[in-house]
Amino acid sequence: MMSIRTFGGNALVLVFPLIILAGCSTTPTPEKYKPKTFTIEIYQMKFQPALLTVHKGDTVEWVNKDIVSHDVTQVPNNLWSSSNLLPGKSWKMAVEETDDYYCSIHVVMVGKLIVE
Amino acid sequence: MKMLKTFTAWASVTLAIFVLQTMTSNAQTPKLADDEIASVAVVANKGDIGFAQIAQKKSKNAEILKFAHTMASDHQAVIDQAVALVTKLKVTPKDNAVSKKMVADNAKTQKMLNSKSAKDFDKAYIDNEVAYHKAVINAVETILIPQAQNAELKGLLQQVVPTLKAHLQHAEMVQTEISK
Repeated sequence: MMSIRTFGGNALVLVFPLIILAGCSTTPTPEKYKPKTFTIEIYQMKFQPALLTVHKGDTVEWVNKDIVSHDVTQVPNNLWSSSNLLPGKSWKMAVEETDDYYCSIHVVMVGKLIVE
Repeated sequence: MKMLKTFTAWASVTLAIFVLQTMTSNAQTPKLADDEIASVAVVANKGDIGFAQIAQKKSKNAEILKFAHTMASDHQAVIDQAVALVTKLKVTPKDNAVSKKMVADNAKTQKMLNSKSAKDFDKAYIDNEVAYHKAVINAVETILIPQAQNAELKGLLQQVVPTLKAHLQHAEMVQTEISK
C-alpha cells in the first residue's frame, strides 16, 4: 500500500509539470500592444473628429488648420493643456485616461477622448 | 431703463437694417466688386476690434474681458489673412457705399459704448456683439460670398463664416451668463 502511494505521488510530481509545460507550449503569447498615433484636425471651429476612442498610451496629435489660434484644454480641471496653437501649428500627447476637453479661447468648441 | 433698451436696440439692429434696406430691393442692391468686398470685410473686422478695445478699457467682468480679447485677436487674424490675399491678388480694398455706411454706424456704436456707465456697459457691449455678429454673418452669407468673383476671396469668406458663428454662440453664452 505504501509503495502504491509512493508511486502515485511520484507520478503526480512528474505528470503535472508536463501538463503545465505542454499547456505553455501550445497557448500563443499575446503580442504586446503597439501604441498608435491619431490626428485630430481643428478646422472650421471644430475638433474633427470631436469624439475619438483610443487605447491607453496612444498618442493624439491636434493640428490647427483654422485661420485663428486655438488651444486644447482638459475640462473641468485643466489637468492638461496645449499652449496657444497658431494656425498651422500642432500639439500632441500620450493619452492616459478618458477626458473631455475644449478650446479655452473659443469655449463652444468641445471634444472627448475615450480610453477603452 | 427705457432709454437704455432703446439705445441698445438701435445699436443691435443698425447694421442689419442697413443690410436689409440695401439688399432687399434689386434697385438698391449694390453690386460689389472684389476690391469693394475686401473693403467691407476689413471694415467689419475693424469694427469689432474697436468694440473689443472699448470693452478692455471699461469692463471689469472676466467673461467680457476674455470674450473681448478673443474678438480682438480673431478679427485681427482675419484682417491679416485678407490683407495677405489682396496683396497676393494685387487688389486694393476700395471704399464703397456699404463700407462707408458701416464705418459711420460703427462710430455711432463706439460712441454709445463709450457713453455707458460701468454698471450698464457689459450688457450693452454683449448685446451689440450678438446683434453685430448676426448681421455680419447674414451679410457675408447673402451678399459678400455670392458676389465674390475670385475663388480665393470667396474661399476666405467661406472660411470666416464658422468663426463668426462660433463668436455668436460664445456671445450668446456670455449674454446669458451676465443676465443671471
